[in-house]
Amino acid sequence: MSDASTNADYLQLEIFPSRLLSPSRAETLLNEIALLEGVVRFFVHGPRVPQTVPYGPATGETVDHPANKVIMVAGQEVDLEVSVGGIRLEVTDADVKEDIREICDRLLPFSYEFREGLFIPTKQTVTDYAKRGSDADPMLIGMADPKGKLRNKPICILNKKSE
Amino acid sequence: MVYKPQFYPGATSVAENRRKHMSGNVEKLRDISDDDLTLILGHRAPGSDYPSTHPPLAEMGEPDCSVRQLVEATPGAKAGDRVRYVQFVDSMYNAPATPYFRSYAAAINFRGVDPGTLSGRQVVEARERDMEQLAKFQIETEMTDPALASLRGATVHGHSLRLPEDGLMFDMLDRCRKEGNIVIMHKDQVGRPIDKKVNLGKPMSEEEAAKRTTIYRVDNVAFRDDKEVIEWVHRVFDQRTIYGFKPE
Repeated sequence: MSDASTNADYLQLEIFPSRLLSPSRAETLLNEIALLEGVVRFFVHGPRVPQTVPYGPATGETVDHPANKVIMVAGQEVDLEVSVGGIRLEVTDADVKEDIREICDRLLPFSYEFREGLFIPTKQTVTDYAKRGSDADPMLIGMADPKGKLRNKPICILNKKSE
Repeated sequence: MVYKPQFYPGATSVAENRRKHMSGNVEKLRDISDDDLTLILGHRAPGSDYPSTHPPLAEMGEPDCSVRQLVEATPGAKAGDRVRYVQFVDSMYNAPATPYFRSYAAAINFRGVDPGTLSGRQVVEARERDMEQLAKFQIETEMTDPALASLRGATVHGHSLRLPEDGLMFDMLDRCRKEGNIVIMHKDQVGRPIDKKVNLGKPMSEEEAAKRTTIYRVDNVAFRDDKEVIEWVHRVFDQRTIYGFKPE
């Protein structure tokens, strides 16, 4: 099994806006967050928006949902498969937490909840083990989209370490 | 003295709105043409005849039956229409109606309807033209806000989710969109694209939705604020318990 993914001193945060974010606002917010020093990793979650109608008489029809957009975050293309309802992050310390709160105050025109807690598993789960094996990168632990397929590359490495 | 139904107890705006929905005494806010309605329901092509499952009753030579003589058939039953459905979803964020009150409205004010009440959606099955009459009534009146309620035959989730930024209830099949200050529907109720955009009218403002809703919410009119409703709910629960208590 891989080791626990996080440093014990790291904080986990959740931004939970009172409205589901449009792709453009999510893009702006995520870009500002991605630029901060001290953000270890983050992911977005929310209700899924399918490419095609999954069931019913219209099964297979293209949906073309406005929330299903490709956005650019820190120079990387991210294909949004959900309507952004929340962002969960891991940061190094409390100063970064306050920086993120300031960004949310500035960019979100509606109320939001901002809380600290445990949102990303810190140990490898059975699912993680089954998907990535015993020698998985600890940074990826708990970051998988439970309904996503690995071939769709559900995780983007934004700040690749130079070789 | 002529009996006048009271429908629902309470002195708050929510109680008053519940009485309005149940009595059918609701304000008409918008118009939707028959063709547009047919288009968004998606059961047949606009302008086409109603397909039938049996010949008109008048031609069938019905048996001599006292119940048939007592109860007049609805127009849809008389013509032999198919049974078809309309299904509504109402947001928990102060949508005007809720599944229960749509069902009350249907069962009290319309004949030949079979309302089905679920936690997040409400379906009515009826002969096609009777169903269309009910659907038109509910869409055109204050029972529906195009932003917070919608026609969803399949994939109904969204009623309990937060609203997107534009204020339209989340719909994973993207049946409705806001264009300018009106809401249009560009797919039918099950998500098939339709030939034209159907104008569903202006969405209610947040204040108006809060005023017209039948939902008690702590951030609007709290259920506990309505003394008379609480009293009656207690009475119903008391009596139901006592009724079930049967010492031998």
